[in-house]
Amino acid sequence: MSAKPKVAFFEFTSCEGCQLTVVDSLQDHPELLDAIEIVNFREAISRRDHDYQIAFIEGSCSRPSDEATLKAIRAQAGMVIELGACAHLGGINTIRNRQNLDDVRHYVYGDKADWYETYPARPIHAVIDVDAAIPGCPIDRDEFIMAVTQLLQGRMPQIPDHPLCIECKLKENVCVYQRGMTCLGPIIRAGCDAICPTYGDGCEGCRGMISNPNFDSLREVLAEHGMSEDAIKAKLTMFLTYQMMDRGGIGDDNGATNA
Amino acid sequence: MQKIMIDPITRLEGHGKITLFLNDEGDLENAYFQIPELRGFEVFSLGRPAEEMPRITQRICGVCPEAHHMAATKALDDLFHVEAPPVAHKVRELFYMAFYVTDHTTHFYALGGPDFVVGPDAPAAERNILGVVAAAGMEAGLAVINCRKRNHHAIKMLGGRAIHPVAGLPGGWSVAVTPEMRDELVRIAEENVEFARFSLQLVDDIVLKNQAYVDLIVGGAYTTPIHYMGLVDANNHVNFYDGKVRVVDPDGVEVVRYAPHEYTQHIAEHVEPFSYLKFPYLKAKGWKGFVGGKESGVYAATPLSRLNAADGMATPLAQEAYEKFYATLGGKPVHHTLACHWARVIEMMYAAERMLELARDPEITNPNVRNIPTETPTEGIGIVEAPRGTLTHHYATDANGILTMVNLIVGTTNNNAPITMSIKQAAQALIKKGEVITDGLLNKIEMAFRSYDPCFSCATHSLPGQMPLEVEVLDASGNVLKRLSQYVD
Repeated sequence: MSAKPKVAFFEFTSCEGCQLTVVDSLQDHPELLDAIEIVNFREAISRRDHDYQIAFIEGSCSRPSDEATLKAIRAQAGMVIELGACAHLGGINTIRNRQNLDDVRHYVYGDKADWYETYPARPIHAVIDVDAAIPGCPIDRDEFIMAVTQLLQGRMPQIPDHPLCIECKLKENVCVYQRGMTCLGPIIRAGCDAICPTYGDGCEGCRGMISNPNFDSLREVLAEHGMSEDAIKAKLTMFLTYQMMDRGGIGDDNGATNA
Repeated sequence: MQKIMIDPITRLEGHGKITLFLNDEGDLENAYFQIPELRGFEVFSLGRPAEEMPRITQRICGVCPEAHHMAATKALDDLFHVEAPPVAHKVRELFYMAFYVTDHTTHFYALGGPDFVVGPDAPAAERNILGVVAAAGMEAGLAVINCRKRNHHAIKMLGGRAIHPVAGLPGGWSVAVTPEMRDELVRIAEENVEFARFSLQLVDDIVLKNQAYVDLIVGGAYTTPIHYMGLVDANNHVNFYDGKVRVVDPDGVEVVRYAPHEYTQHIAEHVEPFSYLKFPYLKAKGWKGFVGGKESGVYAATPLSRLNAADGMATPLAQEAYEKFYATLGGKPVHHTLACHWARVIEMMYAAERMLELARDPEITNPNVRNIPTETPTEGIGIVEAPRGTLTHHYATDANGILTMVNLIVGTTNNNAPITMSIKQAAQALIKKGEVITDGLLNKIEMAFRSYDPCFSCATHSLPGQMPLEVEVLDASGNVLKRLSQYVD
C-alpha cells in the first residue's frame, strides 16, 4: 500500500478494555503509527474523521439506534473488524439475553416499563457483515499487533482455530480437571496463552468456540466431574450465550431470543 | 430556549452527556449530566454462581477492573465465611497498589490532568497527553508510558492479565509471590516512588508556581462544601484496600465511621426523574436536594474526599505531601474540586510507598495464599476504595451459592449528586448574559466534573439496555417548562 491506510475505532456496549489494550499495544509498538493513520478513536484522540478504510469495532449491539451507526460504518469501511468478545460474541452483555426481557424491563423501569423497548445484546456480525474478529476479553495485545501487521501485508488476521487444551498442554499445565475443577478449554479457541487455567481456574470461553466444537462430549465431561445441569448452563453462558442460542438454545431460554 | 450539548464528553471513560439549558436571555437555566446507556450487571448476575462475580463485575469497566475484582473477592470472603490468610491480604493489596499507581497516572497525565497541567484556556487540540508532554518535557511522556507498562506487568504477574485479572478467590488469591517475583516487584515499586516524586514536583513546578492556575483552583467556580467519604485504617489514615468507611462534614468533623456490614444503615439512594443513575446520600442527614452544607446528605467520594475524610497518610512521603496540600490550600477540609487532581498525585505517592512496603515485607513470599471455604454461603459485603470512590459490593445467595441479590454502589455513583452540582455551579459562574460561549468556557464546565474522574461504564451498571431519558426543565415554581427526550439533537 502506498498511502497509509486510515483506521477508525468505534465502541458500542462494552467496558472499553479492548480499546485501552489497543492504546497499550501502540505504546509498545509506536512504529505501527508510521504505517497507519488513526483518524477516529474517541477513547484516545480528539480527531473525528469519517474517511477511513479500516474500522475496528468494540462492543455489542444492544440498542436499536446502534444499527444505523453500524450500517454507516459498514458503508464507509472497506474492512470491518470485531474487536474483542463483546463485538465477536456479544460478550458478557448477552447474559441478559437468557432472562425474560419483559421481566427485566419491569424490574428496571418499574411502571415506566412500557415507555422503553428492550433489546437483546448481539455481536456485530449479527447486524452487519464483518471481515474478521480479534477475540478475547479483553483482546490480547500481541494478537492485535499481529492482526494489524497481517492486514497491512494484505492478509486476513490468522486467529487460531484449535482448542485451548493444545496451548495449555504446551505450557505444561496440570489439567484443570485433574485438579478437581472444570474448564471449557476443549471447545474454546486458543490464543490467550491459557491465562485462566494457568492461574488456577478453568477457561470461561471468552474467545468463543472453535469452528467444530465437540460439544456433546464436553457436556458429558462436565457432568462426569460433578456439575449439575444448572451449573453447566451457567458455565456455558458467561461468554457463550449468543453462540449457544445460535446453536439451538440452552434449554431454559424463558422465551428469550437472540433477535 | 437554547440548548448546548457536549457529547460525547471527550476523554471521558464510558459514555456521558452534559446538557445545559439556557433561557432566552442567554443565562443558565439548568445543567444536567446524563447517561445514555445502561448495562444491567445487578440484574443479569442473578441466578449465577457467586464465585463468578470477581470475573463478571470487572467487565463493567476496562479502566478499573481491578477495583471490581477486589471488592467482589472481599465480598466472597464474607459470603463464604472464610478469612483469607494474612499473606493473601498482602498479595491482594500489593496487586491493588500497582493498579492504583497506574490508574492515577492515566487520569493525571491523560484524562483529567491535561486541563490542570496544560491549562484550561489552551486549545482543545493541546489539552491531551501530548500537550502534557509539551509542557512537562518528553521525559514526562516516556515516564508515563513506562509507569503504565511496568505496573501492567506487575498486575499481570500477580493477577494473570493486565485488564480483567483472574486471581481473586474466596479465602485468598491464586498467585503466590516467588522470591524472583518479589525482587522484580520491589524494583517496580521503587520506580513508582520515584515517578510519584516526579509527579508531585510537576504539580509544584507547573501548577503551584503559576498564580493563574492557583487562582483557578481556589476560585469560587469550583468550590462545593459537602460531606466527604473515604476508607480509613485503625489510625484514620487513608487506606484503599480495607478498613472502615469514614464520613466527615463540610467542617471536617466526623459524622459516621462504619464497617462494611453497616452500610445500609448509613447510605440510602435517591432517584430523580431525569436520570436512572441513583443519587446516594447519608441517611442521617436525609435527601435535601442538590445542595451542599452540613444539613444536606450529599457527599463525595474522590481522592480529595479521601484526604479530607482521613487524618493523614500512612507513609512518610505521602504524609509530607498531604501536609503541604492543606498548608497551601488554607487548611482542612479543602472544598475546591479542582484540587482533586493534586490529591490524586498524593495518593499515587501513597500507593507507590505502600506497594514498596508490601513488596519488602518478609512474609510476602509465604506460599499459603488460600484458605478453602467450608461454610455454607449466605450474604457478603466487600468494600474497597476504587480510584473513583468508595466501592461497595453486596451479594446474597441460596445455600448452593447461587446469587439471589446483588447490589453495587460504585465509585462514580457516589459522586452523582456533587457532579451535578459542580456542573451547574461552574456553568452559572461562567455563562453570563450575552457572553459568547467559547471552547475554553465549555471545557471549564467539563472540567468541573472531570476532576471527579467520572467513569460511566461503571456507574451505569445498574440497569440493562439503553436508557431512554426524559429531561424536565422546571421554572422557579416547579412547573415543567419543557420536556425533552434523550435523542433530541
